Amino acid sequence: MFSLRNVNKRFGDNVVLNNVSLDVNQGDVVAVLGPSGSGKTTLLRCAGYLTKADSGTLTIGGRQYDMNKISGRDLREYRKRVGFVFQTFNLYGNKTALGNVTLGLRVAQKMPKEEAEKIGKALLERVGLGDRMDFYPSKLSGGQQQRVAIARALATNPEVIFFDEPTSALDPELTGEVLSVIRQLADEGRTMIVVTHEMEFARNVATRVVFMEDGEIVEENTAGEFFTNPQKERTKAFISRSSSWTGGEGKTPEQNQ
Amino acid sequence: MNERIVTELIESFGKLFMAGIKVSIPLTLASFSAGLLIAFFVALVQIAKIPVLKFLVRVYVWIIRCTPMIVQLFIVYFGLPTVGIRFSPFVSAWIVMSLSVGAYCSETVRAAIDSVPVGQLEACYCDGLTFWQAMIHVVVPQALRTAFPPLSNSIIGLVKDTSLAYNVALVEILATAQRIASRTYDYFWLYLEAGLIYLIFCSVLTVIQRKAEEALERRR
Repeated sequence: MFSLRNVNKRFGDNVVLNNVSLDVNQGDVVAVLGPSGSGKTTLLRCAGYLTKADSGTLTIGGRQYDMNKISGRDLREYRKRVGFVFQTFNLYGNKTALGNVTLGLRVAQKMPKEEAEKIGKALLERVGLGDRMDFYPSKLSGGQQQRVAIARALATNPEVIFFDEPTSALDPELTGEVLSVIRQLADEGRTMIVVTHEMEFARNVATRVVFMEDGEIVEENTAGEFFTNPQKERTKAFISRSSSWTGGEGKTPEQNQ
Repeated sequence: MNERIVTELIESFGKLFMAGIKVSIPLTLASFSAGLLIAFFVALVQIAKIPVLKFLVRVYVWIIRCTPMIVQLFIVYFGLPTVGIRFSPFVSAWIVMSLSVGAYCSETVRAAIDSVPVGQLEACYCDGLTFWQAMIHVVVPQALRTAFPPLSNSIIGLVKDTSLAYNVALVEILATAQRIASRTYDYFWLYLEAGLIYLIFCSVLTVIQRKAEEALERRR
């Protein structure tokens, strides 16, 4: 129901995305893994029209969009159908938690205030922030801010939600609350694409895993297969090096402590 | 200082004060409001990179900042009538001072807009907002907060700059003092009194600025 076809992007001579294609089915939670600089964040930003791809097409619910060129009207319609959660939350500093969730509904969707606030309040309750609706972002912890950002991404009830390293900017002890909200969404059958470094999360929550390196998809597999039976040498090396749960094999001496 | 001068100063105080209330302060507020609108327009045109306009606003800022305000005043009030365009002293001063505030504050405003993290603009796009909607609802309100202290500085400076309008026959605080003194020859005391009036008005503005900053701080 959501797919990217032949996405290319270069910054100068640097090829960041080399003909990347990806299909996502309804209800899939796709974890995109890979080393820094592999192009996974760029892929997500291109899919969110935050970075313009050099070429590529995108299909959602039967509608196709050109990733290099899109009319303002199509873009508005597309943005209603997807949500985006940033690594650095990017909450609006001049709006309360509730104001952050309802701004898009009120301004872009022209929804009456009461209706938008009803939706906003319900979403904030869902991410466990019913008691923080009137707080400004500066008065919220990182984990709370990211949960507000997730509620904001859910406001238009999107068909697909993109997460760009949603826990990378958080203190380790705050990642849990954000990941559990994402897991809850997965349990509800939300379609999500999550760029992440959280191996544990990818293993336990994702239905599929995509491994990227040097602007290409190296391996694409079900989450179970990816971690227990990786197909490519490169993926094997990545998993054994970045996981502490693989049992004895592949552990480095530091990890044994 | 004898009794005659004391009586005269008490009498003139009311006149100078009223000149401030009726002329200098309205001129300040009108010029600052218009100037601020110009400043935001200039800053946004540059940030949005609108092709031809971007160049034109740069020329405007360049000319206004690099010529003396008094020369601009003379051009508008004494020069323009020769080509058939006539403005009253107040309107002439208002035009020149608005343009001046617009040029000087545009840089302050631009820096303040730049200080709002670009991620918030991207979040607006993801929420379906256009560039201008994002500016109005998210970026500019936060930029105003950042720009508040330097803009307060500008408004206080502007109160004092209104005295330049004395040169185009605007009867503001200084001109009122001048008129009284030319009759009584107490220049020293009347100019001191004019200075005192500016001191009072600017002190009030300083207090308002501090209170407003505290109020803004509470809303973060």
